[in-house]
Formats: sequence, C-alpha cells, structure tokens
Amino acid sequence: MRRLQNILNWLRSWFKQNSVEKELGSELRFHIERQVEENIAAGMTPEEARRAALREFGGVEQVKEECRDTRRVNILENLIQDMRYGLRTLRKSPSFTFFAVAVLALGIAANSAIFSIADAVLIRPLPYRDANRLVMVWEDASAYGFPKDTPAPGNFSDWKSRNQVFEDVAAYSFGGSFDLIGDGNPEELAGKSVTANLFSVLGVSPALGRDFQTADDIVGAPLVVILSHGLWLRRFGGDPQIMGKEITLNYERHTVIGVMKRGLQFPDRETELWVPFRLSKEQLTNHGSHFLGVVARLKPGISLKTANANLATIAQRLEKEYPDSNAKVGAFAVPLREELAGDVRPAIFMLVGAVCFVLLIACANVANLLLSRATGRRRELAMRLTLGATRARVIQQILTESTLLAILAGAAGLILSVWGTKFLATLIPAGIAPLAGTGVDARVLVFTTVISLGTGILFGIIPASRVTQFHLSHSLKQGGGQSGVGSGGHKLRDALVICEVALAIVLLTGAALMIRSLQNLYHLDPGFRADHVLVMRTPLPRQKYEAFAARVSFYDRVLANVEALPGVVAAGYTTRVPLTNSGGATGITVEGKPEPAAGDMLIPSTRIISRNYMQALRMKLIGGRLLEQGDAPGKLPVALINQTMAKNYWPSENPIGRRFKIGRYNESSPWITVVGIVGDVHQAGLDVPLRAEMDLPYQQQDFGFEPEYLVVRTSGDPMLLAEGVRQQIWAVDKEQPVAGVMPLEDLVDENLASRKMQVSLLSGFAALALLLATLGIYAVLSFTVAQRTQELGVRVALGAQPGDVLRMIFSQGLKLFSIGAAIGLAVALALSRALVHLLFGVSAYDPPSFAGVTVLLAAVALLACYVPARRATRVDPLIALRYE
Amino acid sequence: MTKPTDLVQGTLDLLILKTIALEPMHGWAIAQRIRRVSNNVLQVNQGALYPALHRLEQQAWIQSKWGESENNRRAKYYSLTKAGEKYLKAEESNWERLSSAIGLVLKTV
Repeated sequence: MRRLQNILNWLRSWFKQNSVEKELGSELRFHIERQVEENIAAGMTPEEARRAALREFGGVEQVKEECRDTRRVNILENLIQDMRYGLRTLRKSPSFTFFAVAVLALGIAANSAIFSIADAVLIRPLPYRDANRLVMVWEDASAYGFPKDTPAPGNFSDWKSRNQVFEDVAAYSFGGSFDLIGDGNPEELAGKSVTANLFSVLGVSPALGRDFQTADDIVGAPLVVILSHGLWLRRFGGDPQIMGKEITLNYERHTVIGVMKRGLQFPDRETELWVPFRLSKEQLTNHGSHFLGVVARLKPGISLKTANANLATIAQRLEKEYPDSNAKVGAFAVPLREELAGDVRPAIFMLVGAVCFVLLIACANVANLLLSRATGRRRELAMRLTLGATRARVIQQILTESTLLAILAGAAGLILSVWGTKFLATLIPAGIAPLAGTGVDARVLVFTTVISLGTGILFGIIPASRVTQFHLSHSLKQGGGQSGVGSGGHKLRDALVICEVALAIVLLTGAALMIRSLQNLYHLDPGFRADHVLVMRTPLPRQKYEAFAARVSFYDRVLANVEALPGVVAAGYTTRVPLTNSGGATGITVEGKPEPAAGDMLIPSTRIISRNYMQALRMKLIGGRLLEQGDAPGKLPVALINQTMAKNYWPSENPIGRRFKIGRYNESSPWITVVGIVGDVHQAGLDVPLRAEMDLPYQQQDFGFEPEYLVVRTSGDPMLLAEGVRQQIWAVDKEQPVAGVMPLEDLVDENLASRKMQVSLLSGFAALALLLATLGIYAVLSFTVAQRTQELGVRVALGAQPGDVLRMIFSQGLKLFSIGAAIGLAVALALSRALVHLLFGVSAYDPPSFAGVTVLLAAVALLACYVPARRATRVDPLIALRYE
Repeated sequence: MTKPTDLVQGTLDLLILKTIALEPMHGWAIAQRIRRVSNNVLQVNQGALYPALHRLEQQAWIQSKWGESENNRRAKYYSLTKAGEKYLKAEESNWERLSSAIGLVLKTV
C-alpha cells in the first residue's frame, strides 16, 4: 500500500512537475510571510521583519532543491547531466572507449544476427491463419526403415474421413515439374498437384481470381492452374487480364483461375504454380504407394497429443483392414513450424547459446576495464560522495556511463549485423526463408536495443556497486598513492577473468567437437568419387513418354551420344544421384525364404540405372560383376545390390546368383538374379544411416521409377562439357528440358553446406571468445604490474632476480587460467551432451577435443602473461620507488 | 538564544509526526509548536523541516492538503496517515526504550 503511494507520488512529481514546483514555491512563501507577520507583531518594522524572516529561513533555493531531491523530480535532469558528463569522460579516453565499444559491438552484432535467424526460424508467425494449428501428418513406417514416410493417398483419404481432431486435411504431391511452353523460352517450373482444399486449410486465398473448388479436383474436370505471385510477375508481367487465359503445361492447356497472394510459397520456395490433384477413386484407396505431403488444421482447442492419439487409433484400425500395405504403419502429426524449421533447430539453439556466451565474455571484459578505471577514479568519486552525493546518485552516474557505452556499441553492432545477417541467411531452411523474410527489421532493432541496455546495466552494475563501497576517508587519503589498492577489487577482477576463461573453454570445446564431426564427414568414404563428374536432370514429360519403349530409346540414344563425345570417360543414368534422396523403395520377396508376414516385407531402396552408372561414379565392385551389354530386355533380369543389402538379406550365404522378385511370391513379376555386390553409397546424405539398396537396369522392366539424373565422368573440367552434353540431349529431343547442370562436387558441398556454416560460425564465435578471454587475462595482469610497480621495485632492490619476478606474474596468470579452465571443462562436459544431435562420429566427451582446447587456451594464456611479466622484470627500482 | 541542538534526522521525523498527530498543521506552525513545547531548546531549521516534510510525505507517513490558515491565507496542512500513526507509535516506544537506557547508563556510571 505504502509502496503504491510512493509510486503515485513519484508519478505525480513526474507528470505535474510544474504544479508541484508551484506548490513548493507557495508553501515556502507562506512560511516566510507568516514569519514576517510574526516579526511585525513582535514590534519590527515591515522591512526589518522581512529581512529577519529571510535570514532565519536561510537559502530558499537550497531548501527547494532538497525538497525536490526527496521527491526525485530531478531524475531526468540528472540523467542528462550524467550523459553529458559520461560523453565527456568517454571522449577523454578514446582508446578505452574504442576498445570497449568494439568488444561489445562484436558481442551485440553476433546476438542480433543470430536473433534475426532464430526469429525467422523459430519465433515469427508463419503467414497462415492461426498457423499454430497447422500440422503435417506423416506415416511412421519405422519397421521398414522409414520413420517418417510420405503418406499413401489411401491413408490420407482415411485419415481425412475418420479423424475427430482436424478441421480439414489437405494433400499435395511431393515432387512435380511442369514444362511451360509458348510465350517465350520453354521452361521447367516446379509446381505441385494439390487437393482443392489446400489453401483453405492453410487459411490463405488468392490475391486475384479464385481458389480451387471441389469441382476442379475431379478426374476429367477442365484443367486449371493457380500461379504464384512471383511467376505471374516474372513470366506474365503482372498482367491483370491473365484470369481465364490458357497456358500450356506439360503439353496440356490449363486455364489460369488465380494468382496466389504475394510471398506465399508452399510447400517450398521453388514452387511456382499449383494444379488440382484430381486423385482418382483407385488412387484414393491405394494404401501401398507413398508419395503425398499431408497438411491438416487442428480443430480449436485440440492439442497435438490428442491429435496424435486419434491418428494412432485410426492407424491401428487401418493395420487390421489393410494388413498387406498397412501392417506396422503408424501415423503422427508434427507442427508445421517445427517441420519447416527442420534440422536447423538444434543448430540454431546451439548458436544462440554460443552468442550469449560471447556477449557474456564481452561484458566481463568491459566490466573489468570499467573496474580498473573506476579504481583509478576513486579520488573523484570519494570527493563527490564527501560533497554530499548519495551512493545511489554515484551508481546512477556510473550506470549512465556504462549504458552510453553499450548504446554506442549497440549502434555499431547493428551495422555489423546488417552485414552478418545476409551472410547467415543461408542457414534458414528453404521452407521458411521466403515466408519469413529475413534482414534487420523493427524486431531485430528492438532486440538489439533491449540487449544493449541490458548489457550496459550488466557490466556497469558490478563496478558501480563495488566502487561505492569503500570508506570515504580511507579513499581520500589513499588516492594520493597507488600502493595500497584494496584486495577486494582484485578478487572481483580475478573472478571476472576466471568466468571469461571458463566461458571460452565451453565455446572452444563445442567448436572443437563440431569441427571433428565435419572432419569425420569429409573423411567418410561416400562410396563414390565426386571429382570430374557432371550432373544434370532430364525429367521426361509423362505425356510425351507414356510408352516404356519411348523412354528406353531416349536413354539409349542420349547415353550413346554423350559417351561418344571426346573428353567423356563414362556416362550413366540414375533415378537419384547420391546424397540427394533415397529415391524410392520397393517391397521384395527373397527366393527360398518363407513368405514374410504382413509388415515384415523387405523394402530395399531402389535405383533404376544404366549400364555405366557405376563406372561414371567409380563405385566399388565388391563381388560378382557390374551390368553388361547383355543385360538387355528379354534376357535374364538382373540386379546389383549394395553391401548392406547383401549383409542383411543373405547374412550367411553368398548372394550372387540368388533371386528375388518385386512384390509377393504369388505375383507375376519375374525373378531377378543378383549378379553383383557394390560398395555402400551414402544415398540420402552423408550423415544419414545406410540402407539396403538394389540397382536395376532401366531396359529390362518398367519399375515405375524413371531415371532422371544424367551423370558424366569427364577427363577434364566437367563444366567445360556441359554445353556439349546438352546439345547431345537436344539432338535426341529438342524440346527436352535440361535442369540443374552442375559438378557433382558442388552437390557434395551443398550437402555439407549448412553443417559447414554451423561449424564456421561456432568456430568464429569460439575464436572471438578466445581473443576476448586472452585480452581479459592480459588486461588484469598488466593492471597488476602497473599497480605493483613500487612493490616490484622494492623486491628488485632487495635482490629479487628477473626470474623471480617472472615467476610471480606467471603464477598469478596461471592460477586464474587453471581455475577458469577447470570450471569451463566441467561446464563443457555437462553442456556437450546437448550437442549430441549435431555430432557425427565423435563422442560428446571426446578426450582429444577437450585436451586440445585446454592446451590451446593455456598456450594463449601464457602469451597473455608474458608481455606484462616482461614489463615487470624491466622495473627499475630507482624509478619504481619514485613512481607514485 | 542558545545554539539550537542538532537534531538527528530520525528525531526530527519523530517530532514532526508527534506534533501533527494532534491536528493538521502547516510547516511554520509545526516549527513554532516544537520550539514552544520544548521551551526554545529545540529550534527546527527550515532547511531541514521542509525536506523532512516532503520526505515523510513521499514515504506516505503523512499527507498534505491545502487549506485556509489562521491569517486567512492558503497554506499547506500536513496530517498523519494511518501508516504514519502506526509508525509514530512504534518510534515513540523505541525512543522511550532508548532514552531510558541512556538514562540508566548516565546514572550508574
């Protein structure tokens, strides 16, 4: 209650400063008038009476000032005064100011930049209505090696009709490319087939025209398309009359019915158009082929847990109803944001932690500097306290100064982060970047301001409270000399340096573990040679290459043409090149094994390849033979398998010559004979575990997967042959789109790009931490040497050898380092467990990393000790004794 | 006039609170009353009185109101708040304990 009253009074003072001021004036005037009357009554003349009254009262202005002080109406004036004073002192010591601002600016910039990324990925709302109610739904086929599988249309359809937790469920095709012909160059566009309700589930509507309707989404309905805002501007010049016009996609006329609102790119930034899915009745009851993306909107008030329980119940029922396809297949939902943020989340958390540590170290450093400076300013502060300044007032002044520093640093940091954010944007997953839009905006600005002010208070409060604790008389006397600096200041500074060392150790071990992981990935044998290989995609338009024979003939002719080019060593086709995607999987039955129960089917990854694909990528042949000319249509169906498949499916026998068939025993598909075993290739990514995989020649059977990637091994720079290869493809089909032409090495790099980025960022922060901690040790020791010059002089005069002096300074530095390192290692051990998901092939407690980091920091710490120690040995006793 | 006894801050607060406990009073009257009641021993310096009044008001022990003075002028009257009354009681008993303790020491030594 009283506190409230306090606050009210205080506020009143603030807002009614004028009236309070007036009241104060009239209150004191009344007092004087009353005294004048009294004096007159006592027999004085009016003039005498007034003079006496005023004399008795003393300084009216002084009283007023004191009254104001008690009401704290002066807080603003004080602040301005302090700021002027602060700016003056900062200007007077430019090197200190520059150093402090630079150190803090680096810390703040790192935080702002990482914040803008974390904001885009984790915090900022997605551009959909009630986006927190949107989830992705997946199949859980862990039993077959697919813990997160793209759902089959049959399952999608059953989830949609049977659930009690979703307002609506929509689906889209996972892949999809459309050749746009006419009106300019032929172009391959990424597009999605979507169910008519997709946009209403997302809660977005077209900027122009109309959304899909159920009538568009039926087999045989007129073909329609909705364009992305970007495509509409880029390709059609933002023509508002586009609605109702026809465009040719994949050789079919589509009517444009809408243009999506700007910035909406679902499910990824590449997608430029959407067409109705037109799933047939047969497809909607197919539970066996898995190729959908499914997005659903939770009913209001339904939690993710409830939704997952409901999905699990439905999945169990489906297991019983469709044992062949659905045995051991579960279903689960993941919030859309989590889905889009994907694998980057742990990395972002790690980086957020790292930049916080960097900022803390920067704060400790500047606090240390301020402490040293404040100690030097003791006399001034003591004088001010003696002259009547309150402790609070002096603390306010010191805090103003530190906050000023922080604001300067914040401004500098913001400029740095503008540049840094651009660099960091590559960290943002494709699904989110266009939706969120990154860069320095109001949110980052607010964050930077808050963090700057926080920093200023954080590193100012320690010296401020410290400095005002000493005894006045003691300080005034002491200020003349320097020999007797209180030990308390030392302790605090030591503690700060210990913290810096500890934090630096934590960051460095984190970076070391990440670097070791990256090294492991680089040294990992991917199972193929990526150098001198050119990659490109030639997706065949389905309408044109409906016939199996047409496709086979296309591949045959392109490969023959390309292999005839000078400079080409080998050329091959495959469904997917390594590191891109698993590229499909097929259930098989192994001859001689009992018919697998439902849900126990073997489902190896499947790749459809050409004869020389293995040679083009220099994959290793472990046993048997590679594909040969004789493996032609109508001949014995053959397959190559990888080591993992050989080991898992034929654990105790030689797989060569064994047979399997696609589907079940009773299926009419032919038996396929294993003729060769090839080395394992990291198909889905370097850090993704290996799966069983089979490679089938494209000519022998129509497997439903089409080779899409052409790989060409060249004797020279692969890009030099890019044009020649393209011409050879067009010689076969001059309308065939060719996309994604690049060296395979780039693809490998891309696969590691985000990890590399994480490593370089973390290493950068760790290096910054190392630098700051070193500076911290150096500053403290230099200060000690300066403070102890007299003592050192006495010691030298009494016969101390330079070695003794060196030892003394070094031992102080090493003591700080050892304590800091011990604490840091303990914290690092505890925290490194959080990194487990980001590590590869290295334990979170990897001894070499921990040892290496300690040695590195120790070496740098020794260096930081050396300079001040050398200075100490050069102390001339004569000068030192006169030093003060 | 003898040199006015220095008043420690807490003591002045106590005197002010006690004085206005009887009735609301303005600053001048408070100073007069303390002087008269103490037989001119305690002279309250205005330079201390007004800041003390403002501080007490800030702490919400007392509250102020503008009113008509005995000489028909507008004056600022101070009166005790509920919290002030409690505080005064506590301080009074404190003071009594303290002064009797000092008295004991002075008598016995």
